[in-house]
Amino acid sequence: MKNRTIANLDHYLEQFERKVTALGAVVYFAPDAEAASKYVLDLAKARGVRTVIKGKSMISEEMGLNEQLTEAGIEPVETDLGEYVIQLAGETPYHIVAPAIHKDRHDVSKLFQEKLGTPHIDNIEGLGKEARQQLRGKFIVADMGITGANFLVAETGTLGLVTNEGNGRMASSMPRIHVALAGMERVVPTMEDMSMFLRLLIRSATGQRISSYVTLVNGLRRPADEDGPEEFHIVIVDNGRSRMLADPELREALNCIRCGACLNACPVYRKVGGHSYGYVYPGPIGAIVTPMLTGLGDAKDLPFASSLCGACKEACPVKVNIPRMLLALRRDLTDGKKNPNDKRSTLAERLSFKAWRVLFGSNALLGLSVRIGRLMQIPLVRGGVIRWLPGPLSGWTRHRTLKPLPSSSFRDRWADHLKDADSPGHRQ
Amino acid sequence: MTSSRESFFAGLRSALVSGAEAGEAPRPDPFPTDDEVLARVTAIQKLIAEQAAELMDELAASAKAGGWVVHRAANIEEALGQVVDIARGLAVTSLVRSDHDVLSRLGVDGPLAADGIDVTKMAREDSEDPSSHRQAAIDAGLGLTGADYAIAETGSAVLAAGQGVSRIVSLVPPVHVAVVERGSVVPSLDELFTLLRQDYGEQDWASYVNIISGPSRSADIEYTLVTGVHGPGEVHLVLLDEGSA
Repeated sequence: MKNRTIANLDHYLEQFERKVTALGAVVYFAPDAEAASKYVLDLAKARGVRTVIKGKSMISEEMGLNEQLTEAGIEPVETDLGEYVIQLAGETPYHIVAPAIHKDRHDVSKLFQEKLGTPHIDNIEGLGKEARQQLRGKFIVADMGITGANFLVAETGTLGLVTNEGNGRMASSMPRIHVALAGMERVVPTMEDMSMFLRLLIRSATGQRISSYVTLVNGLRRPADEDGPEEFHIVIVDNGRSRMLADPELREALNCIRCGACLNACPVYRKVGGHSYGYVYPGPIGAIVTPMLTGLGDAKDLPFASSLCGACKEACPVKVNIPRMLLALRRDLTDGKKNPNDKRSTLAERLSFKAWRVLFGSNALLGLSVRIGRLMQIPLVRGGVIRWLPGPLSGWTRHRTLKPLPSSSFRDRWADHLKDADSPGHRQ
Repeated sequence: MTSSRESFFAGLRSALVSGAEAGEAPRPDPFPTDDEVLARVTAIQKLIAEQAAELMDELAASAKAGGWVVHRAANIEEALGQVVDIARGLAVTSLVRSDHDVLSRLGVDGPLAADGIDVTKMAREDSEDPSSHRQAAIDAGLGLTGADYAIAETGSAVLAAGQGVSRIVSLVPPVHVAVVERGSVVPSLDELFTLLRQDYGEQDWASYVNIISGPSRSADIEYTLVTGVHGPGEVHLVLLDEGSA
């Protein structure tokens, strides 16, 4: 289903646009994060917006929207409890579902004391109440509410939002302008399709049967409605997604529903944590999505930061084959196929691996090279270890010492052992 | 703006072509025809009428599991008594309510006022500003609504906002009480979406629908559950075993 949707993305996006525009909303298609940010900023400035309340949106993180709003003199307020904590701390999310999971109640209490001047609160319920109080005031004065979008339903022009706290409902009800930010792959054909994905998303993200709130926004409020925003804008963002779409091997990554199940299953993520990935999307899926969205560059090491154990693939509710794509990315990066200027392997490295293949392919050559190595290492061994290697090999010893080749190899010793065993008087 | 849209679709279409696997050209499924939808709707309506009692029982169990306080009422009088008891028990001084039919049939206003509770119906006159009742909701100790549908599987109340139903009446006060009538309980999300589509037709979908499944929750600090971070922390479902028809 998702494959079919992705293969006809243009068709479904135009259908969505037609429907929702007829219902009074404004759709803006942004080729990249800059265009999306500019649209939101221009809108906020034109409408004299001073405070923006934000529901959880990963796209907004892609855009770096908070920094830009702040620069423009507009106050962005994160309202998801985890995001709020992160924003107070001046950090980025640690996990896509539970952004502040690396902080315990004491960290949060201390943060509230420092930033909000609250008294010490030692229980989580009290911290939740405090956040409700603090944020309630912001909801009341905010002129613009920004939310993400879990689903865009092409058939009806419906925006589907899944939340547990109610901040998404607040942001789409209270302010006079509602802006929803959506990755272009969020579109599904029908309401029934959304129903199926809702089940998968909610179960995998939080283990619930259903989230507290599933909100369906069908265009702008009707004239007879009691309340609701006066303006409704939907910004649909590409920002590197077409790069994934253009690659038959990586297209599958667009099937991701952002539930976070692969993060929870990943032994590497569990060890290194979300901030190590250096971008909005951490974990196994992030190791594919980040290099594609940001255009490799600094992210080119991410596909290599995996043991390819396959736990992510097992955990994924839509069965995205993450290990296969990581391998494909590694191959392309090494070959320089993704970007010729960004070839990962150097000439020396490729020559070494060629030599390695020849030497390790032959007993005689391997034995000979080990004996040569033993002779050559003599001037380098100090105190039983090698602390420095010359020229292109120096990188290996910059942060560590090497053990020298032993004076005799396992093969030598095995041969000696067999000789001893054959000799008379040796007990078998 | 057009140029941005054009470059968006140009990039998208060229990516669709270059990323397509050989021989693979799945065309979009056609949307269901009106006749198909009507057939489905008729089947669902028959089902929820015939199994109204079973669905109500299933809803009671799943809603309880989902964090609702569940009240069963055999008739209008019992339901009214339960609503008044909830408000009295919480010692609220003011509440906001929607203009759902079921609340008028219960006749909630008189008994609540007799208890000294200030009741605001969040339904504005044409001349009034859409946010005219907002302050009442912010000050209220309780928000009272009916429900368009309920979902047996997930323990959810479904509220379409529109004329007479504010978006925030079930959201802003710290306690939400929803009255669900027999015959409005559907088995699962799938049936709900089919019925909603039919109710509002081509262009006139309710602008805003919420599927509410328990209290406002967050587990963002230490994965420990807290309720009422933004929405109501306490939610009651009054199940009225008497249909409107």
